[in-house]
Amino acid sequence: MSSATHIPPTDAATSLHAAQAARARQVRRTRLFLLAPALGIIGIFGLFPLSIALVYSLLEPGTYGGVEWVFSFDAYVQFLFERDIFDDTLAFNSAYLQIFGRSFGLAITTMIGTLMLGFPVAYFIAARPPEQRNFWLFAITLPFWTNLLIRTYSMLLIVRDEGFVNLMLMKIGIISEPLEMLYTDGAVLAGLIYSYLPFMILPIYASLEKFDFSLLEAGHDLYASRTQVFRHIIVPITRPGIIAGCVLVLIPALGAYITPELLGGGKKLMIGNLIALQFGSGRNWPFGAAAALILMAVVLIALLVSLRAGAPKEGGHG
Amino acid sequence: MIDVKHVTKRFGEGQTAVTALGDISLAIPEGSFFTLLGPSGCGKTTLLRLIAGFELPTEGEIALDGDSIGHLAPNNRPVNTVFQSYALFPHMSVARNVGFGLEMLKRPKAEIEATIHEMLELVQLGEFASRRVDQLSGGQQQRVALARALAPRPKVLLLDEPLSALDLKLRKGMQSELKRLQNETGITFVFVTHDQGEALAMSDQIAVMSAGAVRQVGTPEEIYTAPQSRFVADFIGDTNIVNATLLGFDGDKAKIRFGEGTPLTVQTASTSLTPGAVHVALRPETIDVVDEGSDRALLRGAVVDSTYFGAGSQMLVRLDDGVDVHVQVATSRAIGARVGLECDTSMLHVLED
Repeated sequence: MSSATHIPPTDAATSLHAAQAARARQVRRTRLFLLAPALGIIGIFGLFPLSIALVYSLLEPGTYGGVEWVFSFDAYVQFLFERDIFDDTLAFNSAYLQIFGRSFGLAITTMIGTLMLGFPVAYFIAARPPEQRNFWLFAITLPFWTNLLIRTYSMLLIVRDEGFVNLMLMKIGIISEPLEMLYTDGAVLAGLIYSYLPFMILPIYASLEKFDFSLLEAGHDLYASRTQVFRHIIVPITRPGIIAGCVLVLIPALGAYITPELLGGGKKLMIGNLIALQFGSGRNWPFGAAAALILMAVVLIALLVSLRAGAPKEGGHG
Repeated sequence: MIDVKHVTKRFGEGQTAVTALGDISLAIPEGSFFTLLGPSGCGKTTLLRLIAGFELPTEGEIALDGDSIGHLAPNNRPVNTVFQSYALFPHMSVARNVGFGLEMLKRPKAEIEATIHEMLELVQLGEFASRRVDQLSGGQQQRVALARALAPRPKVLLLDEPLSALDLKLRKGMQSELKRLQNETGITFVFVTHDQGEALAMSDQIAVMSAGAVRQVGTPEEIYTAPQSRFVADFIGDTNIVNATLLGFDGDKAKIRFGEGTPLTVQTASTSLTPGAVHVALRPETIDVVDEGSDRALLRGAVVDSTYFGAGSQMLVRLDDGVDVHVQVATSRAIGARVGLECDTSMLHVLED
């Protein structure tokens, strides 16, 4: 007879319970161990710098850059108000809000522009025979092999007064004077669209690649016109790709620094330039940190709202 | 009634052009279950796509009830398709899939709701209306595809090998289900398949196609019992095709003989064949096995194989000229035994090549 048979049922249940608990503890430990690298990276490269920014935004600027370890809310106040140098009263100042507004306007226009250009390109690639697609994808990603700074400088050479476009137009005789294209919002927009186009094409392509093109025939067969097929079939099915592309373009476009600096000539400040300025010649680190955090908060809120609004609604006729 | 008049379809240009259909003419009667039967690559799917409007004919005309539709876009034809892959919209519920056609036709909401309900009842999927299509089994998706194509009440329903993705048991069930739906709705069904059993079981009329041409059109019985050509006889069931000599014609019958045997008067696919060597179709179930010496024996040979299948045996007899003939018998003979084959001469049929 084995000893196990002598153990009363309650004891058996207790020991079983204990064994299960031990097993669960071990699973938890293993899981934590396996998660550690990911958590570590998020902590070191994500949360830690953000905490520094948050702390710095709540301090006072040092005279030669850096921070004075004195708690102050001034950086956030400065964003919306101007302090009178004589009597210390606060007056509303919309200059920084305008910079935010301009940046958002430009970023949203960039997003729309890349979507208009990128969707047809992604569709074109997805409609190629599979063996040709890799070539087109390679062509799309080719610019990434060159540094963004160099590409932006090349863009500058193309659009400046004695640049390629103006020389060509004057040679053909369409214009007699060079068009002023460099250092305009148009030049910045063109530069941003050029830089971020692949970020729109690739996610949309990924969602179109799995697309069953016989659905288009099914749509036409069921009396949908081309426009209706696009609206009721293509767009809803590729929506995840469109949303991903828009997010991937909008967010970096908002914080773009090199393109507005070079192609806009730094004439009109963008958020990215404003923030960079504070850590450079502006010597106002707390304000730079505050502006960065405000930007992040606005983007996060906008993203959450738009994702909620864009979530697929499947009610049906049921 | 669909009238296909001298339709030719070529893909590609110039030297590399491939002719998928060469000058086809076909009349599909209204309200019938019409099957396009043929091996893969015979052009049956191309013909279906021409009727649906996914392809336009290179030459020729397609008319529906007298109106030319050959050059209309698919969304302007009162014709709906059940796709081989079903092509259900994955982002819509079952109900919205079924209602899509009517929604695009801008029908009143109440009518759409009522039709969705009616169609889902018709295909016995009433309780699945709010499901997503990827939550359904293959057979259920098939029914949704059917309901979706039937909902706008098209004049013609096109079915592109819709049963090929289903397993055997489901396929048998769907065959009678399709037949029932066709009877209940009275809509003309044009059904594409490469499965001759399916075609014989379901169709009012069959068009047998090969290499971009229609070889024979007829009822399943006509196609089975009176195949015109060697291709059709070969494609429908396990027919035996034996050699004979054509002696001449007697009215619309042919006079033939096997080897040096007595002349026989049999049916023929054509009275314009040249006398000489011809092929004759001989269905296995019409053959009786007799002794070699019997004067009723038309053909003679040796048993080379025999397979027992319960209700009887299938024997393979190699004739003296080397041609193999399948025979169904109640009691089989020993392998190697010499036998004579007799058959009802009214079931013999001279073929065109």
